[in-house]
Amino acid sequence: MPSDQDLSADVVIVGSGVAGSSIANELARAGISVIVLEAGPRVDRQHFVENFRNLENKPSYQGPFPAVPWARHPPDQVTPNDYLHTTGPDAEAYQQVYLRMMGGTTWHWAGCAWRYLPSDFELKTRYGQGRDWALKYDDLEPFYYQAEVMMGVCGPDPAREDLGSPRRQPYPMEALPISYAAQQFRKLISEKTPYRVVHEPQARNTRPYDNRPTCEGHNNCMPICPIGAMYNGSYSVYHAEAAGAKFVPNAVVYRIERDSANKRVTAVHYYDPDKGSHRVTGKYFVIAAHCIETAKLMLVSADEQSPAGIANSSGHVGRNMMDHTGVQVSFISGDKALWPGRGPLETNVIDNFRDGDWRNERGAYLVHMVDDNQVDLATQLAISKGYVGRELEEQIRYLASHTVRLFSHNEGLADPENRLTLSATHKDMLGIPHPEVYYKLPEYTVKSCEHTRGLFRDLIGLMHGTDEQWTPGYFPQDHPAGSTIMGTDPKDSVVDGFCRTHDHENLFIASSSVFSSVGTGNITLTVAALALRVADTLKKELAHA
Amino acid sequence: MPDVTRKILWSVLAAGTALTCLSPLSARADEQPSADLLARGEYIATAGDCVACHTAPGGRPFAGGLRISTPMGDVITTNITPDPEHGIGRYTEEDFEKSLRHGIRRDGSRLYPAMPYVSYSGMTDGDVQALYAWFMHDVKPVAESPPVTELNFPASLRITMAAWNLVAGAVPPETGDSATFDKLRRGKYLANALAHCSTCHTPRNMMLSEKEDSYLAGAPLLGWYAPNITSSKTAGIGNWSEDNLVQYLQTGHVDGLSQAAGPMGEAVEHSTSHLTDADLHALAAYILQVPAKDDAVEHSPREQVGKAVDTPDIRTGVLTRIDSLDEMDGAHIYDGNCAACHGSDGAGTSDHYAPSLFHNSVVGSARPDNLIMAILSGVDRTTGTLHVHMPGFDGNSDVQRLSDAEIASLVNYVTATFGSGDHGVTAEQVGKMRAQLPKTP
Repeated sequence: MPSDQDLSADVVIVGSGVAGSSIANELARAGISVIVLEAGPRVDRQHFVENFRNLENKPSYQGPFPAVPWARHPPDQVTPNDYLHTTGPDAEAYQQVYLRMMGGTTWHWAGCAWRYLPSDFELKTRYGQGRDWALKYDDLEPFYYQAEVMMGVCGPDPAREDLGSPRRQPYPMEALPISYAAQQFRKLISEKTPYRVVHEPQARNTRPYDNRPTCEGHNNCMPICPIGAMYNGSYSVYHAEAAGAKFVPNAVVYRIERDSANKRVTAVHYYDPDKGSHRVTGKYFVIAAHCIETAKLMLVSADEQSPAGIANSSGHVGRNMMDHTGVQVSFISGDKALWPGRGPLETNVIDNFRDGDWRNERGAYLVHMVDDNQVDLATQLAISKGYVGRELEEQIRYLASHTVRLFSHNEGLADPENRLTLSATHKDMLGIPHPEVYYKLPEYTVKSCEHTRGLFRDLIGLMHGTDEQWTPGYFPQDHPAGSTIMGTDPKDSVVDGFCRTHDHENLFIASSSVFSSVGTGNITLTVAALALRVADTLKKELAHA
Repeated sequence: MPDVTRKILWSVLAAGTALTCLSPLSARADEQPSADLLARGEYIATAGDCVACHTAPGGRPFAGGLRISTPMGDVITTNITPDPEHGIGRYTEEDFEKSLRHGIRRDGSRLYPAMPYVSYSGMTDGDVQALYAWFMHDVKPVAESPPVTELNFPASLRITMAAWNLVAGAVPPETGDSATFDKLRRGKYLANALAHCSTCHTPRNMMLSEKEDSYLAGAPLLGWYAPNITSSKTAGIGNWSEDNLVQYLQTGHVDGLSQAAGPMGEAVEHSTSHLTDADLHALAAYILQVPAKDDAVEHSPREQVGKAVDTPDIRTGVLTRIDSLDEMDGAHIYDGNCAACHGSDGAGTSDHYAPSLFHNSVVGSARPDNLIMAILSGVDRTTGTLHVHMPGFDGNSDVQRLSDAEIASLVNYVTATFGSGDHGVTAEQVGKMRAQLPKTP
């Protein structure tokens, strides 16, 4: 634990995930002093791999990561889960999971690294729905590329497979080879439907990159890549530390202090696990603590100067909670065996419903053919059908090789009623309230999900599918966004186009919490690009200071 | 390290006549040499692997700056680009020849024997001439000087090196056109005068001269161990075929025998993988007939040790909290870091990209040095279009940073399970080897 007189830096960052660590890395490399406060502990891969191997329930993405009591994260997607409390008509659809530890939630993502479409930033202008961002695609394009280089993203040649987001440079690495299951799926879609399957851009090595090895297709990107072929925030932590940034683990920030004019943030305060309090001063502050925890921190910091919470003169902190709430089905194909479960988990996507004029009434979506091992599901199904002995083994083999799993990412919409608040009834061991979210799926998303269900039924028919298992209701996608929403008008938004809070000139937010619309791809690359743009802004301002 | 080499068709060069027409040592820096001469010079530079030592990690080719540890202190390699101020731009061909074959710099002072001029002294006049022409005309000048070598007394006195030279006894140069030598003579020339195998693989005496009676019998090198490559069937590579050795020098890997990492990985990447098939066969044929020399500790063929192991189930069902970084035992460290690629049974991947750990001369060796160094520094070797990469597990690793004690447990587990037995490697031993890793800028 550093002594408190050391705790001052040009830039103080809360959160060490992909956003916080990549900003720290950029700033430290420019000679700027940085302190990163991480609520969770230092961790390492080998213990997670061992936890995964010891885990009975392999598809449990949170399973290998038992939280520390001073920085809890949600357990698996169950209601109630005793940490992230959800209410409202679609409470179960907002069971987001994330990780509080050094490196953040990218320890267990699938590496999907989509750029958003230009239209995603102009939803209101183009389709009369939701909100526009306070920036355009072109503003972000250089930072998308910087993020792709930082993470090591592989993707298709745009001349052969245009994903709709204009690029000035090719992907840093060639696209992944296509697995056998994906080849079968691609063939079916291209021959029997008007749709297409594209290579999903992935933050995953298709050659040795950044001193990490090539992906070997272990098929457990989630919960843990066993060899380091997939990007996670810990690499940016290591790089930032090598450049001189200081990371403080087990530092749970609970208060954001401002000057008497309430214009500038002067310090953040954190508890160590024994509830000793520490004050950290700086010139600039960045909250990069994940959509849920960022909004929670700003609300927890309410005081006499800011009774509604920090940077909350608009009243929008904690509102506009979005996700890619989707639909999921598994079924048994009546056609040839697919043998899913070889290669990375998510590499193939139907992107025909990503953009179109219909977005004026229903949300866009992506369809993932999930290429994960299906032995678990096949075994349950075979047992439920009453097979025993040799026949059971044969059935498991047959079902595991014929299972198809599809899920969708459907576009949410900013609705102020979907709101994160502080739990009145639950507090953690440090006395900090748990987060609570009210969620009602917007009609825009409901219509989108209905359309997806229709598509899925068509695909099941095409594949002569049986034994359909639909996930009841809706499927949370762990892409929370919107809790400190971006906009040009300080009256109805929290940050401006540079992710600077309207209320406090030296406070920035780097998180999906600033998204004005949730977009049409996985959120992480856009989080990283926005974070690198924050780093760029800070570098310029500190150079002129 | 930059790849500055290209595969040159030696046979084309050998068919050329330009070389034989030139009188030895007649080229001048200001004359435009023939394309054949330049191509031959480049090939000689590749075979001699000049770039390996004369380039710093991440530095520009031939600009020097690599730190080579010796018992007397660190030797820092010099800039040998044709820059007149910082490199060898003012060297005449005579100056160049003197330093290359006799270890005498242009200013008359002596080179330290980290420079293998004792080997290069065997080069033919024609090859020296070609090498000079290539350095002067095709290498890009770099206007920077690496730090100056400062050794401990008495080696700090370069004059000492004159006395050393008397002891070291350089060999007389080969004569004639090296391209026309018969297979074994060509192999010997490649092994001794160019590839300087013995610089690393032959142990040295008190005066740091190679022990003539222990030619290629194995020697420690920067934490690694350059193994015995004599024809001894128990200690050397006497069980390898010529094709095995050619494949190893071409790709750095032969299934069921061995793979190259560290300095040998670099030698394969930058030098031997660029040699012609004919030269590789010549080199292999010569090496394989080097008289057998037994070894103090290797008493059974190291590549024949071990078998696939049906390891016991080590699952407990117990999970540790995310902040638990407790040291695990060797079996669990292997399971958590190695088994994903090398298999819980040690058999590696089916395509051998990740090699098997049994029937592997590194794991089967009685010396665990190279296994420890490979775990610390990883493997990073490109030959042709194949880039073989294993992450290192040292303090710079982004994949997993293992402590000295963890690596000691891991190495003891791996050699006990798949190789030559538990060598009782200690954390202190690993720490000493970690200290020898090159410092990355």
